[in-house]
Amino acid sequence: MSGFIAGYIPLLDLYLIHLGLAFSQYIVLRAGVFSLATAALAGIGAYTAGIFAVKLGMHPVLGVLAGTVMGMAAAIVLSIPLARLRGVYQAIATVAFIQIFVSLNIYAEPITGGALGLNGIPKTVGTGILAIAAIAATYVIWAVERGRLGRAFNAIRQDEAVAASLGISIVRHQMLAFALSGALAGLFGALEAYHAYALDPNQFGFHLLITVLSYVILGGRNSVIGPVVGTAILIILPELARFLAEYRMVIYGAMLIIVINYMPKGIADTVRDAVRAGRLKRRGEDPA
Amino acid sequence: MLEVRDLRVHYSGIQALRGVSLDVRKGETVALIGPNGAGKSSLLNTISGLVAKDTGAITFEGQRIDGLAPWSVTKAGILQVPEGRQVFAEMTVLENLQVGETALAERAPTYGLEDVYKVFPILRERRDQRAGSLSGGQQQMLVIGRALMGGPRLLLLDEPSLGLAPVIIAQVFEALAELKAQGLTILLVEQNAHLALTSSDRAYVIEQGKIVKSDESRSLATDPEVTALYLGQD
Repeated sequence: MSGFIAGYIPLLDLYLIHLGLAFSQYIVLRAGVFSLATAALAGIGAYTAGIFAVKLGMHPVLGVLAGTVMGMAAAIVLSIPLARLRGVYQAIATVAFIQIFVSLNIYAEPITGGALGLNGIPKTVGTGILAIAAIAATYVIWAVERGRLGRAFNAIRQDEAVAASLGISIVRHQMLAFALSGALAGLFGALEAYHAYALDPNQFGFHLLITVLSYVILGGRNSVIGPVVGTAILIILPELARFLAEYRMVIYGAMLIIVINYMPKGIADTVRDAVRAGRLKRRGEDPA
Repeated sequence: MLEVRDLRVHYSGIQALRGVSLDVRKGETVALIGPNGAGKSSLLNTISGLVAKDTGAITFEGQRIDGLAPWSVTKAGILQVPEGRQVFAEMTVLENLQVGETALAERAPTYGLEDVYKVFPILRERRDQRAGSLSGGQQQMLVIGRALMGGPRLLLLDEPSLGLAPVIIAQVFEALAELKAQGLTILLVEQNAHLALTSSDRAYVIEQGKIVKSDESRSLATDPEVTALYLGQD
């Protein structure tokens, strides 16, 4: 039995790290920014932590802290040019940002280890720390969502002009969402560094972007449960369908197409809305 | 309270305002009437900072506000109710009202949730419903209520009667009369000239980006040109 559970620990660890990254993606979408920068921001956090550990021999706590701060700082800087762009142009700019990160990383070999990656990071982060970080991240997102900030994000996402006419500063709020997104990406990137022994620049490239975006699209973009559910499904599913391993990306793609077409709000939000509408109907009011 | 001086605005190559001057005094309801495309909404959008001016000045309570970003204008106490009942459809009625509080910044609220419910009782009944599921009239009440939550010293209303049934229009304008009685200053843009002139103290007639007439609403209502052009009488 314990062997059975132990076999799934790596999967749980992967889930916890990716949940943090999913929240990083979620919070910018939530504020109406079509940024896909999470992958690179996680890379910045991870490499900062890795360099702190391998090249500078610093304590892991400092490394994680530095990774979080660097992720946040990079996100804030990135938010300045992005504030001038909208929609798909933001997406393109952030994809370019990821490519720049990966390229620079490969060229800066003396610092980052280049294409060979950064090896020999002491493994100091286990399931316990990852679980604490994931729960803390979930709590922060949940708290933001319930408060005034969450309402402002919703207002901006639904109608920027109206939000502005109600006194909501678009630039300031989107910068705040970016800072939060960058801190989350940096934190979980840094935890990944202390969890995985080694880092490879391509690990934080286009593939991670698609993966993290899929968690949010599949799970739902309008409540904290969305990323929790979406990440769980996309991490567990490939394991259940191991005999179809060759077709993993095909299944992945097919699921996304089905969900986008039939549940455009994502699985968790569709279920939640259905439950809510049922409750209103029972109370004899018009369903929303 | 509000002074607009020789305001010129253009966008997408069109001269929308060609030197508009206008005053709104404290406690007044001032109406702006005119045909489609005359520049009525452009004027409101320039006051609220959504559109940039070319030249001219806008002063609110002694302070220049032209050139400020929209959120800074709202923080000074000018709140706009945009045309077309733009509620946040996915949020509940209550959440829509709560978003309205953002404009307060550090100012004290003038209308709390209870005050808004008193003016529009239907909003209390529907508070947990998705705003998108409200009727047109209820949505109009919601956007006015949402602006009230931001503690307006001056309320800018853009076509509040647009697309509403006559009986609903009457309800909305009754509420506006109540707000005026409570001392609220209102600048009203309205295509329905009869409605605008019966619910305001003074009015301006705007045509092709210029003010062509201004007077007490009572006098304008009997002005032969105005009646012929805007009130459909001969």
